[in-house]
Amino acid sequence: MRFARPFALAAVALSVTLTTGCGAATAPTGAPNANNDGRIVVANFRAPVSNWALETDDAYILSIAGCLETMTRYDQTQQKVVPMLSESWEQTAAKQWDFKLRAGVKFQDGTPMDAKAVAGSLNHVLGATAPARAFNSKFIDAVKEIDATTVRVTTVNEDPLLPYRVASVNTGILSPASYTDKGIDPFGHCTGPFEPVSEKPSQSLTVDRNSEYWGGKVALAGGEIRFIAEGATRATQVQTGEADISMSIPAASLDALDTDKSLSLEKTDSPRTATLYMNNSRAPFNNVELRRAAQLSLDLNAISSSVYEGAAAPATGPFAPSEPWANKELAVPQQDLEKARKLVAESGYKAGKPLEVIAIVERAEFADVAAIIQANFAEAGLEVSVVTKEYGAVEPDLLAGNYDMVLSQRNRMIDIANPIGFLQADYTCEGSYNLSHYCNVSYDKLVQQAGSETDEKLRNELYRKAGDILTEDAANVWVVNEQAIDGVRNEVQGYVQDPLTRYILTATLSKSS
Amino acid sequence: MSTLIARRFLGLVAIALLSSFVVFLIPFITPGDPVRKLLRARMDVGPADAAAVQAYAQQFGLDAPLWRQFLSWVTRFLTGDMGISYTSLTPVFDQVMPATAITLTLAGGAMVVAVLISLALGLVCAVSTGRWPDRVITSFTHALVSIPEYAIAPLLVVIFALKLALLPSAGWAGPASWVLPIVVLALRPISFFTVAVRSGMLDALAKEHIVAARARGLGERRTVLTHVIPHGLLPLWTMMGVWFAGLLGGSVIVEVIFAIPGMGRLVYEAVLNADIPVAQGGVVVVVVLAVVVTTLVDLGHVAFDPTVRSRIRHA
Repeated sequence: MRFARPFALAAVALSVTLTTGCGAATAPTGAPNANNDGRIVVANFRAPVSNWALETDDAYILSIAGCLETMTRYDQTQQKVVPMLSESWEQTAAKQWDFKLRAGVKFQDGTPMDAKAVAGSLNHVLGATAPARAFNSKFIDAVKEIDATTVRVTTVNEDPLLPYRVASVNTGILSPASYTDKGIDPFGHCTGPFEPVSEKPSQSLTVDRNSEYWGGKVALAGGEIRFIAEGATRATQVQTGEADISMSIPAASLDALDTDKSLSLEKTDSPRTATLYMNNSRAPFNNVELRRAAQLSLDLNAISSSVYEGAAAPATGPFAPSEPWANKELAVPQQDLEKARKLVAESGYKAGKPLEVIAIVERAEFADVAAIIQANFAEAGLEVSVVTKEYGAVEPDLLAGNYDMVLSQRNRMIDIANPIGFLQADYTCEGSYNLSHYCNVSYDKLVQQAGSETDEKLRNELYRKAGDILTEDAANVWVVNEQAIDGVRNEVQGYVQDPLTRYILTATLSKSS
Repeated sequence: MSTLIARRFLGLVAIALLSSFVVFLIPFITPGDPVRKLLRARMDVGPADAAAVQAYAQQFGLDAPLWRQFLSWVTRFLTGDMGISYTSLTPVFDQVMPATAITLTLAGGAMVVAVLISLALGLVCAVSTGRWPDRVITSFTHALVSIPEYAIAPLLVVIFALKLALLPSAGWAGPASWVLPIVVLALRPISFFTVAVRSGMLDALAKEHIVAARARGLGERRTVLTHVIPHGLLPLWTMMGVWFAGLLGGSVIVEVIFAIPGMGRLVYEAVLNADIPVAQGGVVVVVVLAVVVTTLVDLGHVAFDPTVRSRIRHA
């Protein structure tokens, strides 16, 4: 049978489609040229999930949005703690610090930022059910106002790192009015250069300029922080111009962005090192010779270039080379299979049941890294099987020492902008996160000494020595230092990349037309 | 009719209870401690402090026996209280309802687009059986089935957002941002619906009453409009109900790629984070909507299909 006009009805139906499903496709809200008048859009990898509770990661979002400020600030360029809401501080007794507040600072709701408000904010974080790791009752005994402009913090033990603790975004200061029965309300209650004005849950936070900012004129009229978990989507957003800054660009998108003339890729060492943890507490990796053999058998350069496509540098040790406490003389360990085979033989290792490498599934690339490790180990005479597991599922076994090797990563400075927490928790004999179950009394003494050292230069030197011990003992294989890579459009001016992802919208950040 | 609705309502209660129980169990039967998962969702750092884990478990009653936890949830839910999210500490209702609205828009939009396009394509196929339009469309729809959403979505983003700058690449900020995710979600239903419409129409064209209508001199266009299309729509109607119900909770990939805060993503992340009240609330809402939709489809069948009506009358 034949129909006179077979496409006639199809055309009608399609036209209906276009006027209903797609009919409203006019100018896209986030399309190029939609962002002007000095407003900046940031595509962030993190979304608030805890109703802005400051003891959680939500505090990072308030901080990068230019809302939340802290007593002190860690300046990445100077690599030291500098004043922020407090203009000076002093250790007035072994366990006592006095912070002098900056004069004339007001919250965005117009109330003055006085010692009572600051003490109230810090005590609120201190009293959380699951408190912040940088600022909790293990370290902090009490916070109280001494006078209108002085806050006294008493510590449990002598703590020269307290100024670092109050630089943690979790210790951000909010107006008393922000602490409500329904949780934290940051809208209009910060001190920063930008004031949150609206939130689309799970989508974005919009901020406007704080005209009364204590730090001077704010260049931008405002901005928007978008919450985009998918890395490829963030990369596309900065390419299309929908976002001016996209944080944490994934390796797979680097090539496309690298050739895009309308933007630049900002790279810096992140405090994250992908690490092959070896269980030092049981055979066969309780043998230092075998751990050294493992180190020598791996081709870190190949892993860095193939799996990470340039988004990570081969690791020289437990610290990134740019960190002030890193041993600058350490080179990337080179693969030496002949020496590795010799060490395997000398260690007395007998091949039997294959050793197991657990690759954490939360990091998709670890499965590929584990495959290379498996091949490298095989060449050195170590038979290895690879399994992938969710971190939460495997953590109890890791902490209990029921594993051979695990490929995971750790942020050295998430608690405070200082590696002391990492060195204590991860490698001291009693460390709470000592996955490798490494124990060396000399190392413990050094870390303890560093923890009470008040001179920053000497403290960094002690950290370096502690790192050298870990390297010498081949406690683990540090595989690659991950890089923080942000895509930034050319119109953005004054962007200073923070590897700890705490500051983006600042008073000086601006945008050309 | 009323028997059908009553039966569906009873089924709805049973399915909602069962599915919420299954979701409730997931954090407990999968490896790892649910409380630690919760704390990790709030603070992405190393192991949670043991004291914090204990305090958190006590605060939410997560140290109570499983049966008591579930019973407590059911009791609250029956009084209209969906509970408090373990991660945000805000009412579950406040998270589930906006996500439901978004997912209904997304799935509804996808259904509208899929139905209109497949109706047109299926009709063209039916009236040109065996000829090139039929072959081209059939090949095209078969190809659509085999292309997964995670492959087609980035491709469309590159074309329409990056190269042509016509549409936003992500977000849920108005009709323009709806277009790409709706189109991506509609592609697979289009292929299935087109096949259903085509076979329904062909079936109708061969019916005796159509032949008789033609013999009586009824025009070709009128025959198709008044007899063939209504008959061909019946299989489409059934499939539409099933697909729509599936999309309510099953559009996670599209929601992640396009950064859409819909129900699929909400439930998926809640399960990952062991945020049991949110996962349970989301699943119950999805189940209720799915049962309502499939019931409406069945009622539609009764209304549109005289043979079904006749069967019910004689039953």
